[in-house]
Amino acid sequence: MKWRYLSLALLAMIARAQNTSAEGELIFQNTVGPALRERCTNCHGPSLQSSNLRLDSRDGLLKGGARGPAVTTGDPKNSLLIAAIEQTGKLKMPPGGKLPDATIAAIRRWVELGAPYNDRKPAVATTNETISDKWAFQPLTQPAGATIDQFIRDLLARKNITAAHRASRRTLIRRATYDLWGLPPTASDIDNFINDPAPDGQAFAKLVDRLLASPHYGERWGRHWLDVVRYADTGGFSNDFERPNAWRYRDYVIRAFNQDKPYNQFVLEQIAGDEFAGSEPEKLVAVGFLRMGPWEHTAMSVAAVTRQEWLDDVTHSTAATFLGITMECARCHDHKFDPLPTRDYYRLQAVFATTEFADRPAPFLPGEVKPDFAAGRALMETLQQRVDLRIEEYRQLTLTRVAQKLGLSNPDAIPPERAREAAKKFELITPEEFERFKIFQKRKELYARSVTRYSPIAFSVTDGRSEAETHILPVGNLQTPGERVTPGVPGAVMVPASLKTEVPQTIQNRRLPLAQWIASPDNPLAVRVIVNRIWAWHFGRGIVATPNDFGKLGKRPTHPELLDWLCRYFLDHHWSIKEMHRLIMLSDAYQRDSDPASDAALKADPEGALLSYFPPRRLDAEEILDTMLADSGELSPDSGGPGTLPEINLDVANQPRQIMGTLTPAYRPSPTRAERNARMVYAFQKRGLPNPMIEVLNGPSFNESTPGRDATTIPTQAFAMLNGSFANHRALALAAHAESIERVFILAVGRRPSPKESTLTLDFLRRREAYYKQHPAPPEPAPKPLVRSITSELTGAPVQVEEDQLPVPYESDLQPSQVSPHVRALADIALALFNSNEFAYVY
Amino acid sequence: MSTNPTLRGSTKPALRGPIDLSRRGFLYRTGASIASVALSALLAEDQARAGDLAAKPPHHPAKAKACIFLTMEGGPSHIDTFDPKPKLNQIHMQEFVRRDKFASAMESGTRYYVRSPFNFRRAGQSGIEICEHYQHLADCVDDICFYRGAVAESSNHPTALYHLNTGNKFGGDPAMGAWATYGLGTFNENLPAFVVLPDLAYPQGGAANWSNGFLLPNYQGTPLRPTGSPILDMDPQPGVTRECERQNLDLMVALDKDEPARVNQHDLDARIASYELAFRMQAEMPGAIDLKQESAETLKLYGVGEPDTDAIARRCLLARRMIERGVRFVQVYASGWDSHDYLESAHRSRIHSSDKPIAGLLKDLKRRGLLESTLVIWAGEFGRSPDNGIRRGATTWGRDHNPQAMTMWFAGGGVKAGHVIGATDEIGQKAVEVVHPLRDVHVTILDLLGLDDARLTYFHAGRFRQLSQFGGQIISEVKG
Repeated sequence: MKWRYLSLALLAMIARAQNTSAEGELIFQNTVGPALRERCTNCHGPSLQSSNLRLDSRDGLLKGGARGPAVTTGDPKNSLLIAAIEQTGKLKMPPGGKLPDATIAAIRRWVELGAPYNDRKPAVATTNETISDKWAFQPLTQPAGATIDQFIRDLLARKNITAAHRASRRTLIRRATYDLWGLPPTASDIDNFINDPAPDGQAFAKLVDRLLASPHYGERWGRHWLDVVRYADTGGFSNDFERPNAWRYRDYVIRAFNQDKPYNQFVLEQIAGDEFAGSEPEKLVAVGFLRMGPWEHTAMSVAAVTRQEWLDDVTHSTAATFLGITMECARCHDHKFDPLPTRDYYRLQAVFATTEFADRPAPFLPGEVKPDFAAGRALMETLQQRVDLRIEEYRQLTLTRVAQKLGLSNPDAIPPERAREAAKKFELITPEEFERFKIFQKRKELYARSVTRYSPIAFSVTDGRSEAETHILPVGNLQTPGERVTPGVPGAVMVPASLKTEVPQTIQNRRLPLAQWIASPDNPLAVRVIVNRIWAWHFGRGIVATPNDFGKLGKRPTHPELLDWLCRYFLDHHWSIKEMHRLIMLSDAYQRDSDPASDAALKADPEGALLSYFPPRRLDAEEILDTMLADSGELSPDSGGPGTLPEINLDVANQPRQIMGTLTPAYRPSPTRAERNARMVYAFQKRGLPNPMIEVLNGPSFNESTPGRDATTIPTQAFAMLNGSFANHRALALAAHAESIERVFILAVGRRPSPKESTLTLDFLRRREAYYKQHPAPPEPAPKPLVRSITSELTGAPVQVEEDQLPVPYESDLQPSQVSPHVRALADIALALFNSNEFAYVY
Repeated sequence: MSTNPTLRGSTKPALRGPIDLSRRGFLYRTGASIASVALSALLAEDQARAGDLAAKPPHHPAKAKACIFLTMEGGPSHIDTFDPKPKLNQIHMQEFVRRDKFASAMESGTRYYVRSPFNFRRAGQSGIEICEHYQHLADCVDDICFYRGAVAESSNHPTALYHLNTGNKFGGDPAMGAWATYGLGTFNENLPAFVVLPDLAYPQGGAANWSNGFLLPNYQGTPLRPTGSPILDMDPQPGVTRECERQNLDLMVALDKDEPARVNQHDLDARIASYELAFRMQAEMPGAIDLKQESAETLKLYGVGEPDTDAIARRCLLARRMIERGVRFVQVYASGWDSHDYLESAHRSRIHSSDKPIAGLLKDLKRRGLLESTLVIWAGEFGRSPDNGIRRGATTWGRDHNPQAMTMWFAGGGVKAGHVIGATDEIGQKAVEVVHPLRDVHVTILDLLGLDDARLTYFHAGRFRQLSQFGGQIISEVKG
């Protein structure tokens, strides 16, 4: 072990050295370079060499001029350049005023760091020779093999690892159902599968087919994709405005998985659907992908800047989503580890330069319109009318006060121009009234957006921007545009010459060639990326363990040949994702038990990465919530349409949150149970207010692409799972229709209790029931008006604001006060089971 | 809200566990050039990844062991608080027009200069000039290092606040408190390591301002609520006593223990232990937040119970109680500084509401010997402009947003107390001396806490991430 620590220490030393040089380069890039260019190289550069000195290269600095070297690296005290700019001696430079202190300090530090002079042009063509080890960019190989298991077995044999035996049917049905549906199998599903007389393999194949045929499949696998693209129903930042038609993209994704849309088609539609399919609604919805990132423009933003932010975002997300590469580095400098010069980054960006945001008319497809649309629209219209009334009240109030001030009895008598002038002066309105008025004004804006949820509009894009020149932006700075570039696909270097793609410089149709290039069978990277994602979502870990990063900093594949073999299979089967599920799930590797064959096997394969056993996983956040709903019998069959509002922690729902100029409305769960208890994939995804229970259970990021979920264990999860109202309400509903301990077990964990568990829980039940007989549940608190506070910007004092009641009745969840002590006690057992490890993990 | 390079498996639960050797293996394969950058990070990361919140040694010795970050949300005006600009008296109400492709609508068009409605006075032995309305803070200036050279980038609230809190304008990255607890752990595992005390309303941009970002959720800021359950869902449901809850927990544990051993038994045991930790946290928290334990004199020192100062006073006092109990990082919000109009009344009230509580905090920390080991930071997301747009006939003087100039101050742990560092130009438009971008401020804060920004990294989404984003310099002038 000793050598390991030695080499660690050594590496740590190099680490520090490396970081210093990175710091030097950054200082040069940000401060020194620009200062030299602005103030020095006119006289000491290519056109003039006063005193025989050139400062436009590192050599020039070191060589120096008539007075000797300008810089002694690492030693600012003995560097003439520093003396000159600090103006401590006779030589005072530059003429026309000393450099700012900060710049001088930066130059000093830079000399100290060895004066790295990065005079590389931002765009450097990288050639094939330098990327020989960049495996992911190489053409697909043709590995010989007939099955997945052959590859897995070979590696296990080489490492002398014994594989685990086949998992039991009970384990397998739970594993497969969560995997394909994100839901638990029911007790009868389990029984049927266990009792299926067909041989194991056949019975499991039937099960997989049944699961793949259900719409629940798309809900689970669509969620995976929504994680990758950072799906949300709002834009984030100051206003966190609703994107009222974004839900159609979510439903499109779910549909695509359920229909087994060929992946190449899926890619084409999301990047360029509008370009090849005219105004076909489905395709206009699909390109919503390009706008999925957080984005906002306000009066405090600069249009050129927010436009550039979107261009950067769409460039990154396209590369990460479809190509598994991180392009953020290439925005400012040539990528240090991957074949991605800055020029490529901006060429890719130029593909999107003519694209404009557009909310486009797109008639609803059959099935998109839901029966509750009319009610939803009517509710929004009622809220709009109410807020209009409140605004009118304020107008009248102001006018009345103006009239009083002018000594008029009737506000109608005020001359219009005087009214406007007087109304502007807020002295006529108290600070409290002003804060409330701002709330109503903002609500008007919010409701106007929300009401269009129900309109046949696509959150989409169009080609139409004519001011679309793209320049390389050195260090990412918009104010100092560099060389102009034309649109192109990234990395001419990473794909075979046979796959040349020209992107036209026209306003129209720049994205289609990019999409075709990505979705080509000859693009090895794009195929490897999706095949690896599918694998990772099945096993909890990819063949490449970093599904969003196939670059040099990502992990190497554990089974490179298997990956390429799977890619071939995928292409041979017309990019069918469902075929991949069948292939993977019917392998021995997938059907292995999660118990390693021996301690030696565990030691040799500690994380299950070699698949000598099936790696267990904790349920994802949405799986946990959906399972509680399913177990309690409350899971709503409703699917699709505008986002639903599930029950969340009440404190969080009512927490006042600022948006630009005022407060955002309180979060109010959907009034009907059917809507509230739909699967979590259909929940309204508000960037400014993630569901706290999902967040604490490692939910997805709204900002960055999430290739797979973590599973951390922290005490605040225990709070949500044990004390949270969502878990408690579900446990009570489960207990209410279970009536016995045995049924509680069957509903919550899909099996009967063991004799020991029966004894344990029966004892608990008796004691708890007796306790509850003595201690009846407190009655459900009567709904009170919701009053929230904001700090007034004018006075600093808190201003109380009462939230409007919804004009529709709220269907309450079952309350402890409505059930018997027996049911309350059973609910506590159900809650304990919801919190058990058995519930939370899949094997 | 974290996305690790490996999907699952490598994420270990919130208790110490075996270090994941396969991650090291990855280092050796990729060769020294990359490995070196990664290495120190990964050693710390392996521990942190194991969910280790136990106190860890800093990268280098430092006086500050804990941090209180007083966040003045909305953007306080440096010109009217700590950076007097008499020149504005001369050009008051002078008009000019700004047209610039890189100016926002807010900053464009006809503008006029606005003088400060306040007088300034010299305070302390150091004679530093501060606004006349800081009557209590005047006693503390010799403990404070005022820094006038910081430059932000964004002139929009949420992006600027994300930038200040997380180093990343777009949000989604770990907040300073998350990085600090990732690097240093905490002294008291029965309380959250990073506590947030929000104002009445959450700031624009919401909880992402105290996010763990791509770090594990252990490092997320935990907001404490002034009423109800202080931590989300910490209190049982109505009608459920702590004894009932204990029995529920015991039942759960008994059911878990009855299960056969599994390959991931370590994770399963850790999960059971996390429930126990939650139960202990539940026991400790009520005492930690109980201000009734404080003397009348202390309550008065902060201004608890006085209508104007009560809210911020309670948060400041809670901050001290948290630090005393071993919490590593506390963030206190005080909002309402966004005085586009009515600068005089709005800023005066903000100064008044926060003056006594903040001065009380500094005095209290000092007399308890905690100021030496606590870094106190006061900052808003940006400064304000010397000029204003013509709104409502230029009668309601105010100031717009200004990321190019601001004042922040530091007190306690290792700062150069009683000094003013850096300067803005004569009208307070732009920082001109000891000018540093926010990333340098971040590097400096970490440095004061004993952490090296270049070593406090985490591999995520294809690169090594750090608070400063791409590295930065220590502002050595700020250090004592």
